[in-house]
Amino acid sequence: MAPTESPPLPPIAGEEGLGGVGGLTTPVRLYLAVAQRSFRRHLAYRAATLAGLFTNAVFGVLIASVFTALYRSRATEGGGERIAGFDVAEMLVFVWVGQSLIMVLHLWGWWDVAQAVRSGDIVSDLMKPFDFYAYWLSRDLGRAACHVLVRFVPTMALGMLLTDLALPRSPLRWVAFAVSVLLGLLVAFAFRFMVNVSAFWLLDVRGVGYLAYSAVNFLSGFLIPLTFFPPWLRGIAEALPFRAMVMLPAEILLAKRPVAAALGVQLLWAVALTLLARAVLNRAIRKLTVQGG
Amino acid sequence: MTRETALWRRLIGARARGQVAYPVSFLLQLFSTSLLFFVELAVVALMFRQVDRLGGWRLAEVAFLYGLSAVAIGVALCLGSGLVAFPDQIRQGGFDQVLTRPASAFVQVLAADLRLDRLGRVLNGLIVFGYALVVLDVEWTAGRLLYLPVVVVSAAVVFGALFVLEATLCFWTTQGLEVVNAFTFGGATLSQYPLHLFDGWLRRLFLFAIPVGLVIYAPSLYLLDKHDPLGLPGWLRFTAPLVSALFAAVAGSLWRVGVRHYRSTGS
Amino acid sequence: MGSGDGGEPMVVARGLGKTYRVATHRGGALGALRGLVDRSGRDVRAVDGVSFTVDRGEMVGYVGPNGAGKSTTIKMLTGILVPSDGEATVDGLVPWRQRKALAARIGVVFGQRSQLWWDLALVESLDLLRHVYRVPKDRFAINLAGLRDLLDLDPFLATPVRQLSLGQRMRGDLAAALLHDPAILYLDEPTIGLDVVAKARVREMLARLNRERGVTVLLTTHDLADVEHLCRRMIVIDRGRLLFDGAIDELRRRFGPHRTLVIDLEDGDPAPAAGPFCPGVDWVRADGPRRWLRFDRDAVPAADLIAAVAARHRVRDLTIEEPAIEDIVRRIYTEGMGTP
Repeated sequence: MAPTESPPLPPIAGEEGLGGVGGLTTPVRLYLAVAQRSFRRHLAYRAATLAGLFTNAVFGVLIASVFTALYRSRATEGGGERIAGFDVAEMLVFVWVGQSLIMVLHLWGWWDVAQAVRSGDIVSDLMKPFDFYAYWLSRDLGRAACHVLVRFVPTMALGMLLTDLALPRSPLRWVAFAVSVLLGLLVAFAFRFMVNVSAFWLLDVRGVGYLAYSAVNFLSGFLIPLTFFPPWLRGIAEALPFRAMVMLPAEILLAKRPVAAALGVQLLWAVALTLLARAVLNRAIRKLTVQGG
Repeated sequence: MTRETALWRRLIGARARGQVAYPVSFLLQLFSTSLLFFVELAVVALMFRQVDRLGGWRLAEVAFLYGLSAVAIGVALCLGSGLVAFPDQIRQGGFDQVLTRPASAFVQVLAADLRLDRLGRVLNGLIVFGYALVVLDVEWTAGRLLYLPVVVVSAAVVFGALFVLEATLCFWTTQGLEVVNAFTFGGATLSQYPLHLFDGWLRRLFLFAIPVGLVIYAPSLYLLDKHDPLGLPGWLRFTAPLVSALFAAVAGSLWRVGVRHYRSTGS
Repeated sequence: MGSGDGGEPMVVARGLGKTYRVATHRGGALGALRGLVDRSGRDVRAVDGVSFTVDRGEMVGYVGPNGAGKSTTIKMLTGILVPSDGEATVDGLVPWRQRKALAARIGVVFGQRSQLWWDLALVESLDLLRHVYRVPKDRFAINLAGLRDLLDLDPFLATPVRQLSLGQRMRGDLAAALLHDPAILYLDEPTIGLDVVAKARVREMLARLNRERGVTVLLTTHDLADVEHLCRRMIVIDRGRLLFDGAIDELRRRFGPHRTLVIDLEDGDPAPAAGPFCPGVDWVRADGPRRWLRFDRDAVPAADLIAAVAARHRVRDLTIEEPAIEDIVRRIYTEGMGTP
């Protein structure tokens, strides 16, 4: 249901990302500079962006068509207008939100940290006077901000152009949605980071990674809303953090859930996964110092 | 021709041997790779919890399409690994090396990589396909039995030709190649559903420009004995081998044009 | 070794030229897309009417700065590229028209890119190439035995290529390029990235290869020390044009007429750091007790000069330095040929 490989971006060398900002004293300004740099760099990949938008458009229309057919088939079988709690218009929103969020959350194929581990660059990165996790998170936030601009917004516009997508108008809901996406991104980043850091222990991080990303596709609600799941599977999915990435933001936008509760769940997962990811990183560093890599 | 085929087998064989050196771990890898794709099938199954038929097709029938499509693209991806890796090869000057050897450039490019783990997708497709064949109550006439393998091969050839076209594009540009993913993986996903679920440009694109619909959907109408809501001419169900041969021929000609272009510009 | 007539040169290039069309740069992705359709741009003359011949058994250095047209020439002579104008034959064949036939008779080594199979043992790679080049089994056995000896392959014949050192890999690549008895070997940067020891080793092997087997070699490199060690003849190209074609000694005579006498003086000798010594001879540099005297090779015989210096100064030691080929070639690039 999704392009299996997102456009690869050229790897970004560690020092390149920091050149010229090393002299800054306050860490916040450092991370801000890192994020800005990352934002600008991703803004420059214009050909990849256009190609990605085209792919989003094809897949968006494709998936939207399948769901529309599902509603039509349901009608001929005499069923109700709602399927799994969504009517067809809401389902279109759901489909296009998913397509638009792919690159913002970077749901597939992010291996930057794993590459740094493989190449050994991580050793010098770890010795630099900044927080390794915060550094990569800043980069990812910068990247995501850029992708909101060049991927999220245009993909939504394409959805309106190519299908009967009608977006909610309430500005408050969009604000809540934005906060929710940000929290979802924190969860997504922590998860991706852990997958990458597993390169310290695993010979083939990609094998595990694909399996992990595949699980995310399914359990986040990206492929299909979790409300389609049978109760037992839904119970599992709702106990896991992945729904914080797509399902909860989409439900907030569609006013399917009390906003505060949903954001609370996301915040909890964001904090928990961030702490977990940092703990995993610390274990990895200890392994590095004990065994020398 | 036969010599080139023999060479291709030998080059591929050399790459394959290393990957299956540990059969148990290889099989485990294949199995775990095949798991990856079951989530896509799960999505289909979840939809069928809501309806008995999707666009008039039952779950087993859609599973048949899914299996056919997955086997075809899996085979094409595995045997076409060299084509998928071609952008890197050409960027690093590897194609120059290919041209300094007394063998078919195409065979050498094709054999430049082999990713047997991509057979995981084939395994996944076969399992689903097997399920569909067991559950379906199709009358397996001699005609259907004979046509089925032809369709599988035709579909694999069409996906393979798509990868040839994707590689050919590298002769002109290294930028914006990701666009092709929309056609290859888009085609693979689209062909997992009955084509009449889609309309407008999307259907026409994958029916006539990229004939994925002609080698998977149209023959399946015959194989599964389904009514065709699109009203395509009946004989189109039997053109899969012809369509795939034509598409492959077009891809092959464009490849040769590409090589000629490369040899006149060197970039 | 070649199939052609032994008398005719191995390589003949006459007025060989290649013009590329370079798309005028357009910014961004839209520009890139437009570039697919709209082929307007400006012409760049990468190789401009180059003519030379290489005799059988010769080893010729083909040098020039980056972008001079070296690799474009080699690509035309290996049949990869079709030239825009001019003619060429290699071992009697027109490369771009008879690419596959020629490919069986040439060996090509790209220093930057191995043609060996990364995951296979070297010997397995060589065996695969036997099939690519259709070398008969017995011929292969004889050739491999010879190459094992010449290139000292035995220590790593069974090692996967990815585990080889750069120098070992280069030797493996040389073996790969020689398995099918090529009449001519094109070497593109064969010592790039190698350390001093490995470099010397590879050079020595190349020299033996040429000497003992009579393989014609066309060597492209930016490391002029390779050429100095290996070739008697050198072709210099810049901006697509042939600047020099001849013996390296000749190049020195024409473009580096000055030799330098380096003298170590006894303590306290008052030789000056600069200024004239006698007509045609100048003090040019001083460093502690060491002095440099530059003299014209044609006007002043070295023996006379040494005698004259020894008569006036207390000399502890002395050597004569030839101008480095590198300096001469750099001068040619920057100043052009001029009139010698």
